[in-house]
Amino acid sequence: MHIAVCLCQVPDTSSVISFVEGVIDFSRVNEMMNPYDEYALEEAVSLKERFEGSVVTLFCVAPPSAREMLRKALAMGADRALLLSTTERPDPFQTALLLSRVFADYYGDALPDLVFCGKHSTDFQSAQVPLMLAELLGIESVSAIIKLEASADSIQVEREIEGGRESLTVHYPALFSVEKGLNAPRKTTVKAVMEARKKTIDLLPLTISESPYVTITSIKPLVREKTCRFMQDPKELVRLLRNEKALF
Amino acid sequence: MRSQERTMKTFLVFLEQREGVIKQASIDIWNHVQEFAALRPGVAVSGILAGPASTLQLDGLLVGTGVIFHANEEAFRLYNPRRYARLVAETMKREVATSLFFADTALSRDLAPRLSVRLQASLLSGSPFDNGMVDGSGCARSVYSGAAIASFVSERAMNIFIATARRARFATTFGSRISVVVLEPVIVTDDDLFSMVSSITMHKGMQDVAEATIIVAGGRGMGSSGGFCLLEELALLLGGAVGASRPVVDEGWRSHAEQIGQTGKTVAPELYLACAISGAPQHLAAIGSAGTVVAINRDPHAPIFDVADYGIVGDVHLVLPKLIEELQDFLQKR
Ligand SMILES: Cc1cc2nc3c(=O)[nH]c(=O)nc-3n(C[C@H](O)[C@H](O)[C@H](O)COP(=O)(O)OP(=O)(O)OC[C@H]3O[C@@H](n4cnc5c(N)ncnc54)[C@H](O)[C@@H]3O)c2cc1C
Ligand SMILES: Nc1ncnc2c1ncn2[C@@H]1O[C@H](COP(=O)(O)O)[C@@H](O)[C@H]1O
Repeated sequence: MHIAVCLCQVPDTSSVISFVEGVIDFSRVNEMMNPYDEYALEEAVSLKERFEGSVVTLFCVAPPSAREMLRKALAMGADRALLLSTTERPDPFQTALLLSRVFADYYGDALPDLVFCGKHSTDFQSAQVPLMLAELLGIESVSAIIKLEASADSIQVEREIEGGRESLTVHYPALFSVEKGLNAPRKTTVKAVMEARKKTIDLLPLTISESPYVTITSIKPLVREKTCRFMQDPKELVRLLRNEKALF
Repeated sequence: MRSQERTMKTFLVFLEQREGVIKQASIDIWNHVQEFAALRPGVAVSGILAGPASTLQLDGLLVGTGVIFHANEEAFRLYNPRRYARLVAETMKREVATSLFFADTALSRDLAPRLSVRLQASLLSGSPFDNGMVDGSGCARSVYSGAAIASFVSERAMNIFIATARRARFATTFGSRISVVVLEPVIVTDDDLFSMVSSITMHKGMQDVAEATIIVAGGRGMGSSGGFCLLEELALLLGGAVGASRPVVDEGWRSHAEQIGQTGKTVAPELYLACAISGAPQHLAAIGSAGTVVAINRDPHAPIFDVADYGIVGDVHLVLPKLIEELQDFLQKR
């Protein structure tokens, strides 16, 4: 089975996003693997362990510095990685387009049997790349899955909906974006880290020729405008919510 | 006449049904788009409703003038990505619509990116409803876990928006003229059988935080799963839903479905009551569209107070029982 995992980088959770003269100061930002992509990777690797002869390949559109993150991902059990390196920031559509093209180059006419992505990236949270990619590849896809059971000819998945759960049956080839809770990502061992050094990371330089669908015109610090009115007595609160806000 | 025709714009609003019930969140979006259209000549708003549902339930809930295209058939009862995508794409093309609006739901998050590719339309997801979506100047939403706000504009002629909107309170629906056009049955093809929802299980008796107008949320400071009894009582009293911060879910005190924040749900209630929640950026990122925010926390410097309209500094175990009592009192007297 051929399994592809799409990974992206996001600012480390402990990084402080601060602004210097109106632009984000990236010198204080460390990048790490998008947390949701860890679940995607874990699912791919555990399927590889179940279905003998499977190959897990990583795909990432990012600046060349993403190599380090890909090394860690390889240490979690993936076989090889392709880094489509670009210093521009493509929009979700462009990203999906680039990924679909590199899939075509890499897998030829065949498609990977399974593709895993994270539910969304924690920096921009667009939650668009995965299903755009599936649409471009023309394969079945389900977003934000919380459960997966694969057999030789079909895959049962579940996703959370408002107030409940949905079950779906999907056939190969398929793409899934994964929600937290699908699995518990493994810790890497020293041995795995050593082995990962021998694995290949192919660097493919890219230029984007297509125009984006969406552009970002500004990123500014978020200013919160509220002033809190403090009170001591809950009775006062009930009165205000009633009189000033007409809430009940 | 000609030129008028050419400048006429059509917007389509997706009205989502689950088990025949049309989601309040999509009704809210419809009303916001209509409110905008009412001020602009040359903007028409239509709706699309997939699946068996009685449109009578919309009586008195929708403002404005428009047509609802209803695919009133079994094939659309459960969500089927291919069938839904085809239906919406065809309707967009037939009506020569330029913008498509969705409420922010699990379904729209799944469907919209497919439509974006299919229709070569821009997709902007997760912003609070903004008139810029309708007049073309774009919209903004928080990024980087709530540390920053980014403005987005579309580069395409056709646009898709997934928006969050608070309950629209319009004076009256009097004078609204909504008609329903039932669409021809679709031809079901083989590939429709793929990735089709086979069943849904609903959690019993729980209101979902993503749809609630009142949310009573608790954080780690509630102390235990037992501590949430107070919040359940309060939610019941107010007709709201119980929400939780991430540590609460990680501890297993509440289910993940109730988690509010960057890795949970984004919410837009009228009233958000945050009890013993510190107000970390990852939590605040998801409550930016809330109406009135009330915080109860024993730490007067907790960041949650920076985003609150009303605050009480105190121990939740003392304040909440009193609040419940006052509310009971108040509601009885009414
Ligand atoms: C990648 C990432 C994603 C995240 N996603 C989310 C998310 O989706 N949602 C989320 O909520 N968090 C998320 N977090 C976690 C977030 O950073 C905070 O850790 C979390 O929100 C804190 O939850 P809390 O306020 O319940 O707990 P704490 O920060 O521990 O705060 C507890 C608060 O309760 C108060 N308190 C304690 N006892 C009492 C009492 N008896 N009476 C009154 N007040 C009391 C304290 O003063 C304190 O302010 C995420 C973190 C990361 C790194
Ligand atoms: N630059 C990228 N390279 C590879 N995969 C990506 C990239 N951006 C997004 N993805 C994938 O798409 C998922 C959702 O990202 P997003 O649509 O940006 O929220 C991520 O979790 C990744 O799996």
